[in-house]
Amino acid sequence: MTPVVTAPRPGHCPWPFQPPAAPLLMLLPALVLLPLAALLPGLVHGGGWELIGQFAAAALTPSLDPVLLGAAFTGLGVTVGIALLGWALSLALGLVGGVLSSRTIWRTLLAEAWPAELIRRFLAVPRSIHELLWGLLFLQLVGLQPAVAVLAIAIPYAALVARVVGDLLDALPTAPLDALRNAGAGAPGALLTALGPALLPGAFSYGGYRLECALRSATLLGVFGLGGLGTELRLTLQSLQFHELWTGLWLLLAVMLLLEGSLRLLRRRWGMPGRFGLDARGVGRSGRELLLALLALLPVLVLVARALGVNPASLLVWQALPPFLPNWPVVLALPWGSMVGTTVLLTLLAAALAVGGAPLLLLFVAPWPWGRLLLQGLWALGRLWPPPLTALLLLFVLKPGLVTAALALAFHNLGVLGRLLLEAADSAAEGPAAGGAELALRCAGCGPRLALLYGRFSGLARSYLAYGAYRADVILRETVVVGLVGAAGLGTLLLEALSSFAVDQLLALVAVYAALTLVGEDLSDRARRRLLAS
Amino acid sequence: MPPSGLPTPLLELREVTVPGRAADRLAGVSLQLRSGERVALLGASGAGKSTLLAVANGLVAPASGAVLWEGAPPARSRRLRQRQRARIGTLWQDLRLIEELTVQQNLNAARLAEWGWPKALLNLLQPLDTAANSAVLREVDLDPALLPQSVTALSGGQRQRLAIARLLRQQPTLLLADEPLAHLDPRLAAELLALLLRQATAPRALLLSLHRPDLVGGFDRVLALRAGRLVLDTPPAAVDPALIQALYGAGPSPWPDEPR
Repeated sequence: MTPVVTAPRPGHCPWPFQPPAAPLLMLLPALVLLPLAALLPGLVHGGGWELIGQFAAAALTPSLDPVLLGAAFTGLGVTVGIALLGWALSLALGLVGGVLSSRTIWRTLLAEAWPAELIRRFLAVPRSIHELLWGLLFLQLVGLQPAVAVLAIAIPYAALVARVVGDLLDALPTAPLDALRNAGAGAPGALLTALGPALLPGAFSYGGYRLECALRSATLLGVFGLGGLGTELRLTLQSLQFHELWTGLWLLLAVMLLLEGSLRLLRRRWGMPGRFGLDARGVGRSGRELLLALLALLPVLVLVARALGVNPASLLVWQALPPFLPNWPVVLALPWGSMVGTTVLLTLLAAALAVGGAPLLLLFVAPWPWGRLLLQGLWALGRLWPPPLTALLLLFVLKPGLVTAALALAFHNLGVLGRLLLEAADSAAEGPAAGGAELALRCAGCGPRLALLYGRFSGLARSYLAYGAYRADVILRETVVVGLVGAAGLGTLLLEALSSFAVDQLLALVAVYAALTLVGEDLSDRARRRLLAS
Repeated sequence: MPPSGLPTPLLELREVTVPGRAADRLAGVSLQLRSGERVALLGASGAGKSTLLAVANGLVAPASGAVLWEGAPPARSRRLRQRQRARIGTLWQDLRLIEELTVQQNLNAARLAEWGWPKALLNLLQPLDTAANSAVLREVDLDPALLPQSVTALSGGQRQRLAIARLLRQQPTLLLADEPLAHLDPRLAAELLALLLRQATAPRALLLSLHRPDLVGGFDRVLALRAGRLVLDTPPAAVDPALIQALYGAGPSPWPDEPR
């Protein structure tokens, strides 16, 4: 063969630096650690290191007092029950909402897609308001009862499920549907046959993930007094009863890991896509088994509702509200610019810390045989531990403010992102080309950290960052929950307006908050599409 | 220097045994590979060729027996072992290129064992070592203008050559190749084999597993495995149809100590 050789073009890259390569993109968000490292010494007040030490040490000696254990089990039961009911209701409503917001469905039924657009816009509003806000609003309206927490989870979750189901339906290939319609099948029958089985794997994989989220949300609602173990956790933390606190935490951790493990097994058994592969398609192997499992869930839900004393009718009996006397000049005079700016900054800081922190930590522990286990434990705690409680804990040693709130949010989201990254990295190590490029690099003498960076992160970078963009959107919604540490964003004022019955401020704040989260959702969608397309 | 006066083998296996399923096992394999030697490894599918290469590059640790690289066993210290492995280059059947990186970054990835973090990170930001990378591309008959290209833009043949270039960029003394010619058309297979044989001159040595006995002509020695046991170590001229039939045939083994 005649070699085709041309001389190298000296300096063929006009700019000394090319765009960062894929694996480096994953680490770029972690650059936020540099300014943070400069800021942190000024924020430390140093008073509570001893308390932090006591808190950590108590992890090994949780209280085993029978009375306390009994209370913790009861609280846990309430939290799990609320999560289960809220999730089931959101799934039922979300599936209906998803079908109604699918363009394909409306085009097949009416040859028009405008009703889908209308419903999508309508569903964007409940989705944009965090479950904590829904919970606190209902609490003001109907008083404390289990149905409040259930509904608070069900409403935003249903809107989220509806969006995902609608998107999944619209992304399904329409050729089988067209073929059935051309063969003379009626629209409803053709839709059910052509789209139903194809929708199941994606929809139920996402549904399973929402159950994990519902457990975390139910714990969070408890922290704000809406019942369950969260209330115990907050009270024991505030009264510095760390041994008692860890009793509840370990129980919650066990339930969460059990749930996550069971769902992972079911996803595999039913051939459903993993979390990174939400856009993957494929028909589940055991649709009938899955439907039977869902049917078996129905009596469980009824029993749980009865045990918790959930009474939907009680939601219709509203408490006497103070008269609505709006004072719009005061509302207009609120520092909107700084509030929105702080909320956005808080979101970006927390998102960068979480997105950049997970791969950085994974690289850090790569050479240690027990490193992954350590991270799994740390990330499980992060997922479990509601951000307001992390914020309270951080207040032992840090001054309240934006950075403290961002650290609390970042720790929670690091737990979610870190677990996904680890799962994705491990699933890339399965199959016939197990380990692939990473293993090849190790065999060539490359160290474990660089082999992970080059060999594994290269392939994961874009889908990880796309998920990170989605997570940033979630963090924006979550900023409200760290309002109690004085992060000075919209969340702080929202909580103040709620507790002081300032309905005019509350309406304006909720509207701005919803608008902001919708803009954030749009930006995150665009970023995600760009990352996955390139 | 060993007592015989011969130079220390680059690779030595002593009674290496790897238990496992039929296709994964090795049973008491001993061999030596010296600088400048080009050795073909034959055997039917499942005979243990890939396992032998995996033992040779340190990917699989034998259950018993010893592996020596340049006369030394695998070092206990991670850093020292990395240095040992940096001198062993493997050409993988599925190439294992990093699809998301450029040709230049892939070539430089072969130097990561020698580089520290700053240079490894800089490689992801700007073109590094262009002259050295151009030189290895020329050695495998590739145009250095491909350096800034993404690996995904290369043709099948170019990818094969790039994998060999990356191997050369690593500057190993021991070259291992696991069925590198499988799934290639006859012309490309012959070209790549000639290229590999050309590169495997002293101080290097080459151990290449093959599924085509007709291509052993250019090698110095031919080894053959059957059911995990090394049954043949012969010059290529001795490989005749009867031997091939004995190696790949389903009939009874002509080698008496082969386990049934």
